[in-house]
Amino acid sequence: MTEILSARSLTVRYGGNTAVHDVDLGIGAGRMVAVAGANGAGKSTLVNALAGWSRGYPVVSGDVLLDGQNISRLPPHQRSRGGLQHVPEGKNVFSELTVEENLALVRLGEDHAGRFLFSRSEVIDLFPRLHERRHHKGSALSGGERQMLAMARALLAGPRILLLDEPSVGLAPRLIGEVLAVVRSLVDRGLPVLVVDQNVRAVLEFADELYLLERGRIVGHGSAASMKNDDRILKAYLGDLAVKGDLQ
Amino acid sequence: MNVAQQAINGLVIGSGYACVALGWTILLGAARLVNFAHGQMYMLAAFICWFILTRSGIGYPLAAAISIVAMALLGVGMQLMMGRLVMTQNLTSLMIVTLGFGYILQGVAGLLFGGAPHTITTELVQQKIQFGDVWFTSQELLIFVVTLILYGVVWLVLQRTRQGAIIRSVAEDPKLAQLFGIDSRSVYIAIFVLEAVLVALAAVLVAPRTPILTSMGFEEVIITFVIVVLGGIGNVGGALIVGMLLGLFTSFFGALVTPAYTTAAIFAVLLAFLIAKPEGLRTR
Ligand SMILES: Nc1ncnc2c1ncn2[C@@H]1O[C@H](COP(=O)(O)OP(=O)(O)OP(=O)(O)O)[C@@H](O)[C@H]1O
Ligand SMILES: [Mg+2]
Repeated sequence: MTEILSARSLTVRYGGNTAVHDVDLGIGAGRMVAVAGANGAGKSTLVNALAGWSRGYPVVSGDVLLDGQNISRLPPHQRSRGGLQHVPEGKNVFSELTVEENLALVRLGEDHAGRFLFSRSEVIDLFPRLHERRHHKGSALSGGERQMLAMARALLAGPRILLLDEPSVGLAPRLIGEVLAVVRSLVDRGLPVLVVDQNVRAVLEFADELYLLERGRIVGHGSAASMKNDDRILKAYLGDLAVKGDLQ
Repeated sequence: MNVAQQAINGLVIGSGYACVALGWTILLGAARLVNFAHGQMYMLAAFICWFILTRSGIGYPLAAAISIVAMALLGVGMQLMMGRLVMTQNLTSLMIVTLGFGYILQGVAGLLFGGAPHTITTELVQQKIQFGDVWFTSQELLIFVVTLILYGVVWLVLQRTRQGAIIRSVAEDPKLAQLFGIDSRSVYIAIFVLEAVLVALAAVLVAPRTPILTSMGFEEVIITFVIVVLGGIGNVGGALIVGMLLGLFTSFFGALVTPAYTTAAIFAVLLAFLIAKPEGLRTR
């Protein structure tokens, strides 16, 4: 299978602390790949490194390939222009710009090869609330609306691949499923997606495969179906909930 | 006292203040950066213009243009040196670094141009326009008109264009802007160059009205600071209004009390205002 995005021996250090150790991973065409792990396992550090981006000062070594091209030396804005669209954890829209202005910042590059193009109306169809809120500033949006806006701008940029770090954080349980279903619908149109999410149970319903990260190392990888029965996943992520479920 | 004449003088002084402050308004208001070398850049631009005018046969408009280009290059140089401080919007370090730049500029200008006062002579300064018992010079009319136009253009660009939205996005969060495909470093360089160009433009317009000294600059940066703070940080319209009001205040205070203490009086106004209304004229 052709990999749209892959990492080879990716290692990320913050000062003396190694947050990601020698990670190899790949996201194939039309695949939804999840990364799971405990708090502080290095999930955000890993996806940020793929995008060449960080709010801190990490030292990254190893290679990142986009459609077979080594992009390890490219600054984040060039990776974004090249179709590597990253929606980071936390603040991911401009609070002092309106919804409209946030979306208008995005420009599609000249080179459309391999990119998934979404028209304005398609994006509005996916997230109708954004249209209602188009004249509101980012600061006036709810957490879920911000998440939608951040995903909308990533789609308007014509992604080759989408990286989503905690897209469902802070959402009501019912909305988590809705957001992941939207993501799945994009994947079904062919867009590869890498998603980090705390809600492993929900993510496993939608993803094709899952990488398990522990203290910066990949300790497990497999299809969603097989990972559902993986001991470590059961114990760390599904066990509690499974017990609760049984009690009800 | 000729009230109409004092009012005109006030508007002229005020548009000069506002013109000098415009670059800073964008820098601090839109980009959240500071440049305490602003006053010395004003001084240097004036001296470059004066030097070209006295040493060559080149006319005022071209000398002014050369001075503006020189300051633009200086702006690029300063930005390249300040790289990381700018990306992290580290205002304290930027303040210290730019203050240092200001002193260096002052020292270099002192070495090159000496300590004596000079005047930039333009034909426009000598052309008087008289209406009844009030008058002003063509240069003063030019300052007033250009300032109004510049403020209008800057406001339109910031609020109504994609370039303006890019500037505002980088100001808010330069790191996030990168994920939108924006080259934040280049945007910062552009904003800094714009600041340098605007202060140079202000210098070649305003400096011909009074003698220039290599030691000047402090008053310019202080008045700029007052305008930006009172106008409401990031509020272009507020800066224009405050600039004009300060000009009127300077003019009438000078006529009614004494011109010797106007700067001190301006500070008294600033303090009173900040105590009464800490958020400025209007926060955005
Ligand atoms: N900017 C930074 N500077 C220094 N260390 C950092 C920085 N960001 C993260 N770290 C460290 O790197 C490690 C991995 O953090 P990371 O944010 O990648 O974890 P995560 O798996 O995304 O966690 P969470 O589930 O809480 O989002 C942690 O030990 C963290 O303390
Ligand atoms: Mg994280």
